Amino acid sequence: MIRSVPARGVLAVLAIWTLAGCNNSPYPPGITKESIFFMSQIDDPRKLDPASSYRDDEGKILDVICPSYYEYHPLKTKVFQLKPMLGERDARREAYNYTDAGGKAIAGERWTFHIRHDLRFQDDPCFPSGKGRTITARDFLYAFRRMADPVNGSPVVSFFEDKIIGFDELIARNRERQKRGEPADYDAPVAGLQLDPADPYAFSIALNQSYPQLRYLMAMHFTSPMPYEAAAYYGGDIQRHPVGCGPYVLESWTPKRRIVLAKNPNRPPESYPDDGDPGDAEAGYLAPAGRQLPLVDKIIISTITENTTGWNLFLQGYQDAWILKQTNFQQAFSQQGMLSEEMRQHGIRLVKTNDIGVTYFAFNMQDPVVGGYTPARRKLRQAISLAVNSQEFIDLFSQGNGIVAQGILPPGIYGYDPAYNNPWRAYDPSLARARELLKEAGYPSGIDSKTGDRLTLYYDNALTTAGGRQFVGLISRQLEALGIDFESRSQRDVVWQNKIDGNNWQFTDYGWLADYPDAENFFFLLYGPNRRPGPNLTGYDNPVYNRLFEKMRAMDDTPERLAIIHQLRAMIEEDCPLIFVQHTETMTLYQGWVGPVKPNPIGNTLHKFRSVDAALRAERQREWNAPVVWPLAVLAALFVACNVPAVLVVRNRHRRHVTQRGSSTPVSPSCSVT
Amino acid sequence: MLRYLIRRVLYAVPILVGVSLITFILFYGVVPPRQIARRNLSAKNPTPEQIQDWLVAHGYDKPMPEQFKKHMTELFLLRFGRSDSTGEDIAARIRAGAGPSFLIASLIFASALVTQLFMALWAAYFRGTYVDAWITFLCVVSMSVVFIVFVIVGQYLLGNLMRFFPLAGYQSGLSAFRFAFLPAVVGVAAGLGSGTRLYRTFLLEEVNQDYVRTARAKGVPEARILFRHVLKNAAIPIITSTVLAIPSLMLGSLVLESFFGIPGLGSYTYDAINSQDFAVVRAMVFLGTLLYIAGTILTDVCYALADPRIRLE
Repeated sequence: MIRSVPARGVLAVLAIWTLAGCNNSPYPPGITKESIFFMSQIDDPRKLDPASSYRDDEGKILDVICPSYYEYHPLKTKVFQLKPMLGERDARREAYNYTDAGGKAIAGERWTFHIRHDLRFQDDPCFPSGKGRTITARDFLYAFRRMADPVNGSPVVSFFEDKIIGFDELIARNRERQKRGEPADYDAPVAGLQLDPADPYAFSIALNQSYPQLRYLMAMHFTSPMPYEAAAYYGGDIQRHPVGCGPYVLESWTPKRRIVLAKNPNRPPESYPDDGDPGDAEAGYLAPAGRQLPLVDKIIISTITENTTGWNLFLQGYQDAWILKQTNFQQAFSQQGMLSEEMRQHGIRLVKTNDIGVTYFAFNMQDPVVGGYTPARRKLRQAISLAVNSQEFIDLFSQGNGIVAQGILPPGIYGYDPAYNNPWRAYDPSLARARELLKEAGYPSGIDSKTGDRLTLYYDNALTTAGGRQFVGLISRQLEALGIDFESRSQRDVVWQNKIDGNNWQFTDYGWLADYPDAENFFFLLYGPNRRPGPNLTGYDNPVYNRLFEKMRAMDDTPERLAIIHQLRAMIEEDCPLIFVQHTETMTLYQGWVGPVKPNPIGNTLHKFRSVDAALRAERQREWNAPVVWPLAVLAALFVACNVPAVLVVRNRHRRHVTQRGSSTPVSPSCSVT
Repeated sequence: MLRYLIRRVLYAVPILVGVSLITFILFYGVVPPRQIARRNLSAKNPTPEQIQDWLVAHGYDKPMPEQFKKHMTELFLLRFGRSDSTGEDIAARIRAGAGPSFLIASLIFASALVTQLFMALWAAYFRGTYVDAWITFLCVVSMSVVFIVFVIVGQYLLGNLMRFFPLAGYQSGLSAFRFAFLPAVVGVAAGLGSGTRLYRTFLLEEVNQDYVRTARAKGVPEARILFRHVLKNAAIPIITSTVLAIPSLMLGSLVLESFFGIPGLGSYTYDAINSQDFAVVRAMVFLGTLLYIAGTILTDVCYALADPRIRLE
């Protein structure tokens, strides 16, 4: 026990100092008063390499570090619109006819790009003086060569491989070199990738076919200019050191802790747009018009794996934004889609983003029971489709937020028709039409009329979590109402993926989020040649569909293209290889001090438009997080109460001991001590 | 003792090779290399060519014995290579994560050891009384409650209700202790029941020994008997149970680090298994085995230091 007065004094001072310094802010003092946007991520990005990063979370960080020739207009979301970012003007697209090595005449096209002259890479140790150098067209083409290097494992190389003239040969040559243990060839000429000898700021891409989607790929970070110095300097670590010319640079990345993005002093001048969709001005989205971007100096993204922890940090005001999860719904909403009183009192607002995607159940078209193209099989699939109630899924798993999907195209994509109603997605609780179709398919009341056995639908899935089991329970209940047996086979993700790849499945669930906002990026999910391992999960292979798809993908958005899109839609409707469920919505909560940001599901450059009222944030954080000391008093009282019996026991023992010694009673040697 | 230690270190080599071989076979048995490639490639639907490229780039296209030989050579040289999934330098990641993990785990380890021993001595001192009964009851309650409840209650009380400590996060330097306090309290509270019960048992076994009766007969006060004689003689089983926990100090705690946002190594192996990152799995298994072997050797040395009857030969 510390008995000296000075020591006790020091302890008291230390205790007071510790308590005074106690607060629940996870940040260094004063930092939240600065122009910083605080947010979180569930996990670290796997990598931040423009050539190979593909995940959504990676794209949102990478696209503000490594911008591309084009970017999506942040405010035009009714019809997505590209505008030049690093480009000086729109690319020139022209016919390019040539004869290939076999003497065959090819009708291709050539795109010529002119980049801005004021572009500089960020300052980085990879450059000789540490100062970023001027960006030229060569840096854009270097990005393409990195995609052709098999070591980088670029996920989009297949988009270019069969289209850029000579690109497939470069890839094949690099593969051979890799097998021999040699580095990829970054100098070999490629006929389809050409610099302009007269203009260091121009380059062209020649294609062996018409490919209007190239403009979208030129808006993705895969085609962002890349300094060869960075690849040479960082080697294998390039995946964690993106070097670009965007509004932000990666200031630091501490694994499992945080990513800090800081304003790039070398960023090209850029201001907040002054035009948008109708209603944007009223919603406040045009308030920052004309202001220089980015609007905040830093973005701090903390890694918070646990949903509970992240949610509580948001409620304490230490996160500026929070993407809602299913587990937060009860606290966030008072009724379907409406924010709770607690949220509203805190000034929190809800922003919904319609994802450019679709979720669906899929039939294996090679399956002997549900697959095939005969009228009976079609009717069977249509019957099952009619039994699936998408709205119930949306209500149960998304608190009513989401759009019932009628077809493969989501809102915002050319060809999407909000008035379209898929007859096989019109849910009727009586299931009358579904039962009728089931009977016509040879399964009256779900019984196989040939064998007398009840039809069993085997559902392979990777839904092993509690939420997943609820999902399985719902689809099971809906389909069993039709009179068929429904058997779910939930397995580990790897096992499920193996089954899908090996065509060893009958019925499953899947989803698709667009790479770019074009109908081609959805209809290709059912294009025959894209079957596994391609994106065509079902193995649907309809020659008429395939021909129409090939025609449609090479077309610009014209009424003629729209007519083909409608034909493709009708074929999917009739053959019913997929049961469309919903176009999902992402729900984000923003604190009251965060400026309005228009959600843009396809543009990944949201960070540069974020703004905060830092003074208000600091005030609210102080107000919401004042320490509460009364539980300490309760704990102290509890501690004393618990120890009183112990003290009494000690006293009693001591007293007994003294009494025994005083009475001189002899102690028996056989007395055992326990 | 030196000869003994050299012999133990040499024994470690076949153990390390054996454990690595088992890991190698098990991992490949469960997840074939093509599956590893598929999982770690960024593409949604990688083509067979992309999968082959990845296998070649990561050396998984070689025959298995050749791969194993290369892996073992690299591991013994402590060259862990790069993660299959993220491409990051595994050694650098371990260096970065070991500090926070060690801070949290060592705080919990030391505080828990002291608290558990104190409680055990307290229970032993009041053995057979209602104080002992209450401690036993609290220990059973503590052991019955799942770990995650301690985490949630701890966060709620100290972070949400009293608002004394951050719910999650981490800063380096002295500030780290501010972030370490809450997980440490939770870790100590969660381990209190089992540790106290275990040490109480060790202590009570000693309390019935002849030398204790002799000391009592000579009139040595009970507290002195417990702290001076019984504790020293109960040290052997206590050392066994504590020193073997040392490897986990470096490798971190999965749940604590996840909930409190500690950038340690707790989830590193777990994440690697989930993402089928064999490079990280084999490195962490090797490191874990190495630390475990070091822990057992240290235990033997501690035996010899604590008990003069034990000689290491």
